[in-house]
Amino acid sequence: MSDEALETEEFEFAKIKPVLVDPLIDNNPIILQVLGICSALAVTSQMITALIMSIALTSVVAGSNAAIALVRNHTPASIRIIVQMTIIASLVIVVDQILKAVAYDISKQLSVFVGLIITNCIVMGRAEAYAMQNPPLPSFFDGLGNGLGYSLILMTVAVIRELFGSGSLFGVEILPLVKNGGWYEPNGLLLLPPSAFFIIGLLIWAVRTFKPKQREVPEFKILPAHGEVA
Amino acid sequence: MSKVRAFLDRIHPLFVKGGRYEKLYPLYEMVDTFLYWPADVAPNPVHVRDALDLKRVMVYVWLATFPAIFVALYNTGYQANQAMQALGMETIPNWRGAVMDWFGYNPANPISCLMHGALYFFPVYIVTFVVGGLWEALFALVRKHEINEGFFVTSILFALSLPPSIPLWQVALGISFGVVLGKEVYGGTGKNFLNPALTGRAFLFFAYPAYMTGDTIWTAVDGYSAATPLALGAEGGLAAIQMAGYSWGQTFFGFMPGSMGETSTLAILLGAIFLLYTGVASYRIMAGVLIGVIATSVLFNLIGSATNPMFSLPWYWHLTIGSLAFATVFMATDPVSAAMTDAGRWIFGILIGVMTILIRVVNPAFPEGAMLAVLFANIFAPLIDYFVIQANIRRRAKRNV
Amino acid sequence: MSETSMQFASTLKVWRERAKAYADRILSLPNDSFEKTLSVAFWLCLVCAVLVAFSAVALKSLQEDNKAADMRRNILEVVGLWREGADINEAFKRFEVKVIDLKTGELAKDVDPNTYDMRKAAKDFKLSEPLPRDKDVASIKRKPKYATVYFLKDENGELNALVLPVWGYGLWSTMYGFLALEPDCNTVIGINFYDQKETPGLGGEVVNPNWRALWKGKRIYDQAGTPVLRLIKGRVNPGQEKAEFLVDGLAGATLTSNGVSNLIRFWLGEEGYKPFLAKQCPK
Repeated sequence: MSDEALETEEFEFAKIKPVLVDPLIDNNPIILQVLGICSALAVTSQMITALIMSIALTSVVAGSNAAIALVRNHTPASIRIIVQMTIIASLVIVVDQILKAVAYDISKQLSVFVGLIITNCIVMGRAEAYAMQNPPLPSFFDGLGNGLGYSLILMTVAVIRELFGSGSLFGVEILPLVKNGGWYEPNGLLLLPPSAFFIIGLLIWAVRTFKPKQREVPEFKILPAHGEVA
Repeated sequence: MSKVRAFLDRIHPLFVKGGRYEKLYPLYEMVDTFLYWPADVAPNPVHVRDALDLKRVMVYVWLATFPAIFVALYNTGYQANQAMQALGMETIPNWRGAVMDWFGYNPANPISCLMHGALYFFPVYIVTFVVGGLWEALFALVRKHEINEGFFVTSILFALSLPPSIPLWQVALGISFGVVLGKEVYGGTGKNFLNPALTGRAFLFFAYPAYMTGDTIWTAVDGYSAATPLALGAEGGLAAIQMAGYSWGQTFFGFMPGSMGETSTLAILLGAIFLLYTGVASYRIMAGVLIGVIATSVLFNLIGSATNPMFSLPWYWHLTIGSLAFATVFMATDPVSAAMTDAGRWIFGILIGVMTILIRVVNPAFPEGAMLAVLFANIFAPLIDYFVIQANIRRRAKRNV
Repeated sequence: MSETSMQFASTLKVWRERAKAYADRILSLPNDSFEKTLSVAFWLCLVCAVLVAFSAVALKSLQEDNKAADMRRNILEVVGLWREGADINEAFKRFEVKVIDLKTGELAKDVDPNTYDMRKAAKDFKLSEPLPRDKDVASIKRKPKYATVYFLKDENGELNALVLPVWGYGLWSTMYGFLALEPDCNTVIGINFYDQKETPGLGGEVVNPNWRALWKGKRIYDQAGTPVLRLIKGRVNPGQEKAEFLVDGLAGATLTSNGVSNLIRFWLGEEGYKPFLAKQCPK
């Protein structure tokens, strides 16, 4: 089988690198594809929950991508999605169980959001878009890259939210709070989930300012108004 | 005057395309069109029905807030002087004290009250104007659009809607959020779907709730606690408001603690009359809000509740306490973020009225509903317009087939 | 002996070959054939099921330890015994856990205190009873029949504190916590809330250590034995009349404050621990 030949082909990092690096900024799942937003809103009020969520999602998407790629040539088209879902769901349950065993406190704070990785669009999206067409090793790195891209945004949002919302990073006080005798008045809005919308929006704005390639083609153009400098 | 004109004409070449200060054109344009009329004129007959343009509209709204500003100054000072008398304070332990010692702290002395209020209102307003204005100018320069008189309105409405004890850095943060995320990210004046002043206020409301809600913030004296009539109403209904010594007339004239410019229904009413007379604000929106408020509060009066005293508050009290009147006249009628169609404006107004009363009466978390109701209706305004226009198209299609 | 092992090896070989033949046959089937679809589904489910079951079973004891340790930490914290990095289970040995019948206040001998989960029991129809509206002060709808009570004892077996689980509805959420009392059953040592979703910065301040410190030394019952401890609007003036029965309200969070007052009134009243406390500390 020619596929077998491809799979045993020597591992070349040069080919893997773009798969791993592209999703960090250039093709980021959150800020370019705007996927996986709900968990990004829910778990980013603290660094630690964002970090654990990032690790959980990255391991699920890397693992599921590899596993799905492994069985891709024998997956009947009629049950394709069910096969993907089964693999993803199993991995998520395993990750959830491990978290409950080793990081109980944080898993309690993450509550349903680890379980909801099953429905995270990034995981399904990578399975369908990449792992079904590519050998396991590149698929693994594609999953890893996308997971890291997700993590990068999550951590950035969490730094802003925890630092300005609670005056701390990873629970360590950085800006002494007024209520503890310091000078910093925490911004309560940042502790509420909608604030992540603003931050992700501003991040998208910033990235697209520096990477004009990511800008979408406007759906329509407003003609210059009377007297406006066109 | 003609000297100014001549000066502006002389420097004009510097700012047009190819000129030395080409990038600063929006600044030049702002000054020029504020003082005179735009240079572009239509060469052909046009369908002008009114001499009003956007700048004139905005300046009229600004003028309409003057009675409210006046009462804001007086009442802020009056409440503070009264609180100081109650606490037995002799002076204010900061720079304001140095000024106010000249005027005394007698609540019965209107000059002292006005001055005292001014020392709280103007710092807030100046910070709003400078910080918001900087953002406005920055975006105008980068985006190459005009600096708009709309900001006059945004800044004054924002300042009037704040409590007197607000820290100035919060004012700066709030107006920045309002101008940048409430307006400029969508492309500037005319393209925003939320009222920028309210967006900024809502930001502060959620970001620093301890400075925007509660009993200690409505009087500009440290450590003095006075509940607004609305908060009293939420606790014990009309009886609690009257027990605290507020008559309906007093709340109508605005001598009560509250956001600086929002206490006096009378002053706001004067502004409303001016806006309606000049045709700047839509009477449909204002009437819609009134209908919504009256209908919903009468409904709640009829239902009644043993546990929630707000159910029985009559509608004419709802109008004079809290910021409903201010929101109705100045916030809801913002021509950019409100509905554009005539039928849509009625619906838009009614939606605001209904939501305000719903939030005030039923929602336990927020005592005041007007701000949230207007923002809520802002979001629905395009949808309302869409359905109004679709209904129009369907009706006309039926007529012609 | 060698014969049996050889026999075994040959059987194994036969089976291995059969398995390989089966795998080859299935894998060479066209992907969309009926048999292949069923086989892939079956084997995938089997592998995943084994994986999931294995992880769940293997990690179960660790998870339960964590859960218990988490609860113990909250209990230690409310009496001020928790230190960062201390051995929770060691410190918790000073506690004696007992289950009591809320109605009679007697020990419930037939309930195992090590396995009884009071919070879960409150949702169990057999282990709880519905509260009529007029008695449901804390808005919790059902109350468990039995309660877990933690007795803190010193080296000599002398009682130092009682820790009582309490909960009640605030503004957005049910707030779960512990209340610690002195052995006189009337003076508060501390209160904490380990599970709540009140507004951050306002009602969420129920977890603020500075506010919680205000509870120490407050009293619950007045002369007549009614639980009168409550939160007031604004601050308590220490010289004020009955200041020992009043705690500062949470600024800007009237409904959360009312919720806390209500849960104290409920849990220390007739429906709550009062029968038990009356037996524990007879007048």
